[in-house]
Amino acid sequence: MPDLSHVGRRYRAPGQVVSAERVAEYASAVSGADEVYSPGSVPPAFAAVYCLLPSLSAVLADAELGIELAGLIHAEQSFEWPAPVRPGDVVEASAEVASVESKRGMTFVTLDLTATDQSGATVCRGRSLLLLRGAGQ
Amino acid sequence: MTDPAARLEVQPGDTMVPLSRTVSQAQIDAYADASGDHNPIHVDPEFARSVGLPGTIAHGMLDMAILAEAVARWAGAHDRVIELACRFSKPLLPGDTVTCTGRVASVDHAAGTATLQLEATSSRGERVLTNGRAVVRLAG
Repeated sequence: MPDLSHVGRRYRAPGQVVSAERVAEYASAVSGADEVYSPGSVPPAFAAVYCLLPSLSAVLADAELGIELAGLIHAEQSFEWPAPVRPGDVVEASAEVASVESKRGMTFVTLDLTATDQSGATVCRGRSLLLLRGAGQ
Repeated sequence: MTDPAARLEVQPGDTMVPLSRTVSQAQIDAYADASGDHNPIHVDPEFARSVGLPGTIAHGMLDMAILAEAVARWAGAHDRVIELACRFSKPLLPGDTVTCTGRVASVDHAAGTATLQLEATSSRGERVLTNGRAVVRLAG
């Protein structure tokens, strides 16, 4: 279970290619039975794919930190997009443990996310609040 | 839908055009494949029940993606959405219709942006996404 000693840990995810095919598959999934809105452009929430999930995978892979997928609740999410993401971009995402707090038998972990494109420009910043069942030390 | 080239003329108190979407298990499965998030609480009803859920639930990020689309449609383009935040308050279940609503809270003419307050409710009357907030560019 994460504790205060883990605050400041950083995780770097492998680069993600924002391919037109992946964007189209994602946009179609979000649209469901409706027509895709603005096909060809990258929906803002595609940040889940190029930023949140890759960096979260890197965080979950740290056995010392000890966050397990079972019992993990995604409680809050925010994103900012300082520059647009376009099909063909290669995006590298990273996460930093911003805070860890235990209360009411739960552990609250805040992750700060950053994604940069192939030119080094920051294309997305995010903050995730995760709730874990069980309290730390 | 707003013309993508047009400048958005909005005032505090204006309401966003709502977006409603019925989310099926097939759509949740497609989202799991498209996003790479195969957490079994979204795709395996037996597993979901074993952890105390009524059954599978939609990914919070799918709910947020529909909220983001509502804002983008209203603003005129995906890349006019420059900030988005929400709390995942209640799960959306397969078969539910989610309705995203919003209201302009403030307009910053110098920055050329508007801030919206947002919410998403389910057809079962549950507040799925709360504390929603977006910042959109009014032009360009």
